[in-house]
Amino acid sequence: MTPLILEGDCWKFGHNIPTDMITPTAYVMRGMGEMVKHVLENANPDFPKNVQRGDIIIAGRNFGCSSGRAIAPKAIKATGVGAVIAEFFSRTFYRNGPEIGLPLLEAPGIHDLVETGHRIRVNIEAGIVENLTTGKSIQGRAPSGLLLDMLRAGGLIPLLKSDAGKVLLGS
Amino acid sequence: MNMIEKILAKASGKKEVGPGNIVVANVDRMVLHDLSSNLVSKVFENEMSDGTIFDPDRIAFVFDHTFSPPSQADADVLTEARRFAAKYGIRNVFDSGSGSIHHVIIESGLWAPGDVIIGCDSHTTVYGALGVFSTGVGNNSMAALGYAHGKAWFRVPETIQVRLHGPPPAGTAPRDVAQYLEGFLGEDSAVYRAVEYAGPFIENLSIEDRMLFPLMAIDLGAKAGYINPDEKTAAYANKYSRKKHFELFKNDPGVQYAKVIDVDLAQLEPQVACPPTVGNVKPIGQAVGIEIQLAEIGGSTGGRLGDIRVLAQALQGKTVHPNVRLQVVPVTRGVYLAALREGLLETIVEAGGIIFPPSAGSNQAVNMGAMSEQEAMISTQARNFPGRNGHPKARHYLASAATVAASALAGRITDPREDARQNT
Repeated sequence: MTPLILEGDCWKFGHNIPTDMITPTAYVMRGMGEMVKHVLENANPDFPKNVQRGDIIIAGRNFGCSSGRAIAPKAIKATGVGAVIAEFFSRTFYRNGPEIGLPLLEAPGIHDLVETGHRIRVNIEAGIVENLTTGKSIQGRAPSGLLLDMLRAGGLIPLLKSDAGKVLLGS
Repeated sequence: MNMIEKILAKASGKKEVGPGNIVVANVDRMVLHDLSSNLVSKVFENEMSDGTIFDPDRIAFVFDHTFSPPSQADADVLTEARRFAAKYGIRNVFDSGSGSIHHVIIESGLWAPGDVIIGCDSHTTVYGALGVFSTGVGNNSMAALGYAHGKAWFRVPETIQVRLHGPPPAGTAPRDVAQYLEGFLGEDSAVYRAVEYAGPFIENLSIEDRMLFPLMAIDLGAKAGYINPDEKTAAYANKYSRKKHFELFKNDPGVQYAKVIDVDLAQLEPQVACPPTVGNVKPIGQAVGIEIQLAEIGGSTGGRLGDIRVLAQALQGKTVHPNVRLQVVPVTRGVYLAALREGLLETIVEAGGIIFPPSAGSNQAVNMGAMSEQEAMISTQARNFPGRNGHPKARHYLASAATVAASALAGRITDPREDARQNT
């Protein structure tokens, strides 16, 4: 089960952040223990050093573009980050996040609503983000269908073991 | 329905599908390179309870990132992939030195029009030039649905049609057109959607040149790119595909698109994608003069026989600039052999170039292609994002083979048309 209502401190990143910047090539095959020390370091060197369990990533447009690298959402999850909220995601990242149980929310306008260090509360299923620091809130595009089923189950593999998974394979 | 919708309907046992539908489709081929095959093996063996592969013959491994392991850790990655293949009876294994993943699969005929092909690699979109629906999926998708059940889930995409009207001026190449579109349309212009490339320019291209467009569709953010299959597709499939019977799934007449974009190529100039992203595309005039230390013909979007021919012709009787290392990476063994037989490699080596084994080349710095902070490279590779090629401040420029060749000779980014004018 993945928590879908979360409250945490934010780290804000820019537009078109490629998977190369999330998970630098040099560490991709060196195991998650090493990888996690370098996540997003080329975008913000403080991030891998100071990220705390439950923190939330805020990003701009097309987060997770470039190589499909499914290790990118896995590495973000391994840092303890609870969710990523972006203007919108690259297609592979938007698919891979729910498959591995990393909650993602598309919320156009989020990039202007939040700064690094702000505290926010997000309800992924309802698609609502509240900035607890400024008091402003925004309605995002709540995931539905298979994406939501995967998030609720904690990913594609646990989903396939459930009754819903059997329906999916039978369809 | 269009080509993609028809293929997805057939593969999921449905009469009709439309944009937004979620389908679970049967997959004809799953393709993995050395890095992704390893990551998928780990998911399959460590995170799933029952380790049965539905049909090992649908899986193909191509070890394209490492052509010769520079460290024990890299050797272990390859050894692990070979162990997995042997254990589960995966027979389609193309070991190091075979070439760049999708070009190896295409050359070896492990595809046919009408297929669904998935890979743990974003450039899996290339088969859209061959009448195939193909796209990249994640490691967990590949292990849990692909390996275990021979299936994949897809959201049927909306489709944008891009109609290209030519011909572009002399001195430009199909790569300049594909590169121009990344800048003109934007690197996030087709996220979640499919792009159909059409119009007289596309119709007149060879299949090899058509491949650039679905390949580079991924850097418009697209889920898939394709070209409505025609008699060229059928002839190419008859020549290369191992399947003797296949069907061309052509667009229905009057099919609807989410958007139609017409692009006139009459004024096109050579194009260069400048750091830090694939969408930062400029006409050559805005990039000329930038000094480069590395030049490379290689990668999934370069390193084909046509690219090597262009390079050899430009180098004839000349010498590469002393500050430049010119790297040539044939995209497959077949291309390597053809270039060898044509004498192209001799010309390149005499001019000061170096030939590397067929592989992904400097696509990302796994086996080659790392740069220091102050270095710059120009190549026919697909991507230039920071973090792929050594120091994050190292600069990587992407261009056609002609522009790479002219720049390797001059030691700085050079307009290939200028080079041609000096020769006349």
